[in-house]
Amino acid sequence: MTLEGWVPKIGDSLTLAEVVDFAFDYRGNTTIVKTDGTEVVGYVFNRDNRVPEPFIQFFDETGNGPFTMPYSAIATIRFTGRDTAAGNSWRAWLEHKEREKAKTASALGGERGAPDPDPHRG
Amino acid sequence: MSVPVSQMLTVAGHVIRQKVAGTKRYPLVLMLEPLFRCNLACAGCGKIQYPAQILRKHLSVEQCLAAVDECGAPIVSIPGGEPLMYPLIDRLVAELVARKKYVYLCTNAILLKEKLNLFTPSKYLSFSVHMDGLKEDHDEAVCRDGVYDQAVDAIRAALARGFRVTTNTTLFDGASPLRMRQFFDEMTDLGVEGMMISPGYSYAKAPDQEHFLRRVRTHQLFSDMLANPKRRWKFNQSPLFLRFLMGKHDYECTPWGNPTFNIFGWQRPCYLLQEGYASSFRELMETTPWENYGKRSGNEKCRDCMVHCGYEATAVDHTFSSARAFAETVAATLTGKL
Repeated sequence: MTLEGWVPKIGDSLTLAEVVDFAFDYRGNTTIVKTDGTEVVGYVFNRDNRVPEPFIQFFDETGNGPFTMPYSAIATIRFTGRDTAAGNSWRAWLEHKEREKAKTASALGGERGAPDPDPHRG
Repeated sequence: MSVPVSQMLTVAGHVIRQKVAGTKRYPLVLMLEPLFRCNLACAGCGKIQYPAQILRKHLSVEQCLAAVDECGAPIVSIPGGEPLMYPLIDRLVAELVARKKYVYLCTNAILLKEKLNLFTPSKYLSFSVHMDGLKEDHDEAVCRDGVYDQAVDAIRAALARGFRVTTNTTLFDGASPLRMRQFFDEMTDLGVEGMMISPGYSYAKAPDQEHFLRRVRTHQLFSDMLANPKRRWKFNQSPLFLRFLMGKHDYECTPWGNPTFNIFGWQRPCYLLQEGYASSFRELMETTPWENYGKRSGNEKCRDCMVHCGYEATAVDHTFSSARAFAETVAATLTGKL
């Protein structure tokens, strides 16, 4: 499950604070849409909503920052960047290992004179 | 057990000073992450999943030293990322050694052999090489074949040059006690000064969520693995922490014991959880709602955690909390019995 590509609609069922929390947990760049209509792309690494004026902190997409922005200046946040935590699972690695073993076994079989069912495969 | 006497005395002095001063919460090991970039992408690691512009960033030496000075912990562990990819690592280590900090440079050792000439052997510097078991187990854990052999080669080279070398091992579900005992033999034969072991933690953002240990299974695994430990095995950690892993002590987490500093600031509340950042160590200590963390808090993220960065500080604090606990630590250190 990844939020990559999500364009949240802030409303009664989804608050800005919730979207900020999702952005804080997201391991990819997001597009922060400001209330003045401008946008900034960056990685949200911190947020604090326990203070009188809640804020986020982020590095922009060139790595400049950290920048601080109050919640009050944010209209919404779009999850536009690649989710770097998605994929690359342990299961995928084990499956890769199994494929490698099968390939090795097949190659050894070939050396012993067994017919190769698909001589053109990679 | 194998913690250098000078390091033991330094830590003991630090803890006793805190207790005399009545300081309730104090740091023991600073986890200093100068960068997140790594040359491996292990499935169990939640530290490196960031966009490219974040992976390209690193702390300045001055930022690192300011954090070290503000924190005041006697031990500085440098994980990451891979710290040998930090372009200023030689200067950082030299500065820390000059400050008489005990430095554990945590590395996968892929670059260690070629970078050894950047460092000078010192009692204050130890290369803590990531080794998750025997060859097959380690290469599987780091998702790349051949890394174990590279690490062994680098360990030999570092030892030959007179460096202190320890290993750090994270254990996941399915680990074999028998194979781990063979691994302890192999590392001991290799000549490492000591070994550090810990159960893994299920990072919310780690790709692998299925292979982390739960508490009861952790007790079982460590009891089986450390039953009748061989005298020649040396562990570079508190024997009370190892007994805790075996289920012989019931400890509560000390999340402030190993505070973490990186390009985002001071991480709340601990090395493993990532719930926000403070701009200073003081802010971290004073404004983090510590009561929300640890097993007794009921926080489900803490329920099964038994990782060294939360519990080794508890074990060390326990050592100096009573004559009985101190005697237990001394006896275990001298006899090697757990």
